[in-house]
Amino acid sequence: MNLAATLSLATESAALSEMINPRSIQICLVFSALLFVIGLFGFMTRRNMIVMFLCTELMFQGVALAMVTFSRMHLDISGQVFVIFILTVAAAEAALALGLVVLLYRRRATLDVGAWSELGEC
Amino acid sequence: MPSIILYSSCIAGAVGLYLLANGVRMPLRALGTLIALGALAWMMTTTFNSAEGPIGTSILPLVFGVIAVMAAVRVTTHRRPVFAALYFVLVVVASSGLFLTLHAEFMAFALVIVYAGAILITYLFVLMLAQQSPTDGTDSGSTWYDRRPREPAIALLACFILLSSLLQAMTEQDSRAFAAATAGKAEAAEQLIWADLDRMPRQLERVARDVEPETEQVIGSISFDGTVAQVEVKLADGKQKTITLPEDAAPTNTQVIGLALVSDFPVSLELAGVILLMAMFGAVVLARRQIELGEDEIRESAGIAPSVQRGGDE
Repeated sequence: MNLAATLSLATESAALSEMINPRSIQICLVFSALLFVIGLFGFMTRRNMIVMFLCTELMFQGVALAMVTFSRMHLDISGQVFVIFILTVAAAEAALALGLVVLLYRRRATLDVGAWSELGEC
Repeated sequence: MPSIILYSSCIAGAVGLYLLANGVRMPLRALGTLIALGALAWMMTTTFNSAEGPIGTSILPLVFGVIAVMAAVRVTTHRRPVFAALYFVLVVVASSGLFLTLHAEFMAFALVIVYAGAILITYLFVLMLAQQSPTDGTDSGSTWYDRRPREPAIALLACFILLSSLLQAMTEQDSRAFAAATAGKAEAAEQLIWADLDRMPRQLERVARDVEPETEQVIGSISFDGTVAQVEVKLADGKQKTITLPEDAAPTNTQVIGLALVSDFPVSLELAGVILLMAMFGAVVLARRQIELGEDEIRESAGIAPSVQRGGDE
């Protein structure tokens, strides 16, 4: 018995069988994984500090998408509530990270993270 | 078996991304774009066929997701940071489209307002503040460190391992178990929707008055006849009556989120406020300029009389 039949048997409501569509949930989960991984790739390969932080925002997007998808999958609103907290953390991170970037730019007059690489070689 | 297909499409995507990120010349980048697009289409076809469900409502998530992923690749590979930021706006808009297809309307619009409206503007400001013009003048408007990726091969290896395990966890769920779980949920789904209205007595009373103007008081909670929500009310003349709630009286997404936020997660809400406050303090501390103050000025700002004059008086 396929899922659509199961759902319609359980509820006798066409709207409800569309409510949790396993196919679109699957698609959204795969896209959330792709967004996270592309963000990670960008964070590891870019040298520009601002673009690196942009890539962390990409990872936030992937996580937020996964949370909303799980919230839909389990019909539980907590997932969406926690996206609000993700937004909070992202806003705080943007403010702090960009302040830090401006500070570093004043010191070395470049956005290249390689300019600070001697910090790692003690 | 599907995992083999997914792994192969992951590898193809990694190769495309490597060429796209590392290719110095135009033909290589075009080849990388083609390979990455093919891998994306491959992966999407596999995903699309791996689950059961109505096809019609799955088209929009697919379209929005493809836009989001393509824009995300441009964010990570574009040579000019301003364009990367603008492509990130496209990612945000596309993923808010995905949120809309998942019936998370409030989050979709909050995402556009907060991300595209506030955070990205901050990024653009800082880009304009700190971006330097290219010194060597070879490429049009990009500096050398924007053209050269750092260790793309190793990064892609790590990303490929992460992506394949994530995809395996997300696609290899037993479809039948998921169906059973969803069926159990779907039976209760209608009741879940109305359960939040039970926690909003004033709105419930308003809805009841809309249906039955004679309503004086709502008695008890919402009950169900099949999937039809009902509630018992006390009329003005003292009689009791069972009224059927209309479909559109169910609480909206925004109301449900607000209710969950203040009734289930109040401490988290307070903590979010504290985080924002601390971020504000931190940003002020980071951004201010250091000014060297003399001892007298420090004493003056602390409200103490300057030490030199006091010493003279004594």
